[in-house]
Amino acid sequence: MNKIKILHMYADMLDLYGDGGNMEIIGYRCKMRGIECIIDKYSVDSPMPDFSSYDLIYIGGGADLEQQHISENLQKCRDGIESAYKNGTFLFLICGGYQLLGKYYLDADGNKISGLGLFGYYTEAEPNRRKRCIGNIVLRTEFTGKTVDIVGFENHGGQTRNVKTPLGSVLCGHGNCTGGTHEGYFEKNVIATYMHGPCLAKNPEISDYIIKYCLERQNGSSVTLRPLDDRLENDCRRVMISRLLKK
Amino acid sequence: MDRLLILTGRIIVKLLKLCRRNAGNLPGIILWHLTKGKCCKMFKIDCPIIAVTGTNGKTSVTNCIAQLFEQSGKKIIINREGNNLDTGICSLLLRYCDSSGKVDADYLILETDESHVPVVYSQLKLETLVVLNFFRDQLDRNGEMETLIQKINSFCKTFDGNLILNGDDPNTARLGRANPENKNVRYFNAEPYKFATDTIFEASEGRFCPFCGNPLKYDYYQYSHIGKFTCTECGFGNYKPYITACNIDLEKPVFTADRHEYSPVLSSIYNVYNMTAVAGTAKLYGIEPKITDNVISHYTVNNGRMETFMLGDRKTTLNLAKNPVGANMTLRVMNEMHGEKELLFVLNDNVADGLDVSWIWDINFSIFERVTRVVTSGTRAYDIAVRIKCSGYPAEKITVCPELDTAVNELAKTSGRKFVIANYTAVQPTRTALKRYITENGGSHE
Repeated sequence: MNKIKILHMYADMLDLYGDGGNMEIIGYRCKMRGIECIIDKYSVDSPMPDFSSYDLIYIGGGADLEQQHISENLQKCRDGIESAYKNGTFLFLICGGYQLLGKYYLDADGNKISGLGLFGYYTEAEPNRRKRCIGNIVLRTEFTGKTVDIVGFENHGGQTRNVKTPLGSVLCGHGNCTGGTHEGYFEKNVIATYMHGPCLAKNPEISDYIIKYCLERQNGSSVTLRPLDDRLENDCRRVMISRLLKK
Repeated sequence: MDRLLILTGRIIVKLLKLCRRNAGNLPGIILWHLTKGKCCKMFKIDCPIIAVTGTNGKTSVTNCIAQLFEQSGKKIIINREGNNLDTGICSLLLRYCDSSGKVDADYLILETDESHVPVVYSQLKLETLVVLNFFRDQLDRNGEMETLIQKINSFCKTFDGNLILNGDDPNTARLGRANPENKNVRYFNAEPYKFATDTIFEASEGRFCPFCGNPLKYDYYQYSHIGKFTCTECGFGNYKPYITACNIDLEKPVFTADRHEYSPVLSSIYNVYNMTAVAGTAKLYGIEPKITDNVISHYTVNNGRMETFMLGDRKTTLNLAKNPVGANMTLRVMNEMHGEKELLFVLNDNVADGLDVSWIWDINFSIFERVTRVVTSGTRAYDIAVRIKCSGYPAEKITVCPELDTAVNELAKTSGRKFVIANYTAVQPTRTALKRYITENGGSHE
């Protein structure tokens, strides 16, 4: 039987705008296909895990205070996460998780929080706290090999720059920077994004891309996932996109 | 200058009245601009002001406290319509003040939005602040919750009036340490009820001690992060309660506080907390026990908060849920009830709802028991359908009807017990749709 092992990091602290729901969705889509899905949780008081033993590492977003709380602990995990990533473990990162794996995060008070530096991008908070990038967001993506429009909700003050390979181009909303053209960061085993909502709720293609990647990496050969009845998800997305792009 | 501003404001109120329009916020908004944001400053208020703030329960507690004083024969002024921002409070005072800005009352009882406490009470002298709880609520509108608590905390640093705080909410109780010189800090709390749990049951915040950063230790959780907590490092949470609700039995419902047994109308744990806050305020102001008892045992609400409708012979309970805590409470009430039931969930994403609907993912739908069918409606009908489906609920039992009348008809076409959950801007349209069904098809509404 197929099995996916997930490490959900800082679930108790980084969980904004339904980010925890992403794990529920991956679990649901695995279960419907008879794929076993094990989700382990890691937080500041947990023993150091064997990061490379996981197929997927997931980090959600949090408020500034919570991000400060975990940043020191995250540094201790640096080597483990880096070797897992180089070994092919999938990294799925939302908002704070996205920021903290880049070079650094400079908050609105001028405090610099070091990131893990796995990727070349960096984030600087918009100094005016009131000027946040807030609202529904629609992206056009190609990561599955086909054009897929995805929809979510963004709320961040951070301006993420020097992103070489974004997840998609912005059709509605801000993206990595205020009024920006692109959003997120993508590599074949990395999806990092500001999209909450949670991100996977209306975008089954992302969930299935991640599940497929994990299974193919284990099997060393191509895998075809059994299609699920996604009528509700697709209707949900269709309604939102047509409303947002009409404006 | 003040007189001129007051005069202008009063004229606007009068004009609106002539046009048979409810003044609402408008006069306040105009004065806010004229005064560069200090629209409450020019009033002369000699009587004590009692303010109630927090995420959930403000309206209920404000109304109950007002009744305590009214039934004691006092003249009170209250913002009953929930105009709880600085501009709303300004509009209210304009209606009651004389030409010099003097307001004639024995007490002002003001529901105050969390983010407006420092704004309003840097301009008006506050005697007592009641703080009920802080939950995630419409974060994208209010900014992150920590920012909000920080704002009220800075206000409390120089406040030496009465603070009545929910001692079972670490987000609220921490305000008690803001001003170490303030001897007027009092806490209310509650002993565990039947459904209290050892581990946290619903998504929440406030897991860490705000003073030393260590994880808080809980003896029990009542709901969300509300419960008996302490910090084993710095002792945060070790306080002597001013009033405690005990012997809580929600089936009757009854609870005891200060050796007096109360029988509230609404049977939820958060109503017990609200009523304990009311009893605490009554104690502080020396209200006659008979009056307190009368207020607590009769208080109910008829605005979509556990409101009953009969759709033909099908009993239907409507409850407002503007955040996960409210929705989880309704799911608990559903589960604690025997027999099968059906649920209609109406979800809107209008500006007042906060645009973002991801909070529905913090609702714990996996606890569904004997729910035989779900209908969803509202501008985000599909979002709530997807959310319920991904909790493991069978998709074939979910019907999406974005249009409300269609949804109510769909819900009513089968027999049996019904529940309706609606978020903020969905409540009134849902009540209207339920009443329309009753008019057209029979039934009743209390």
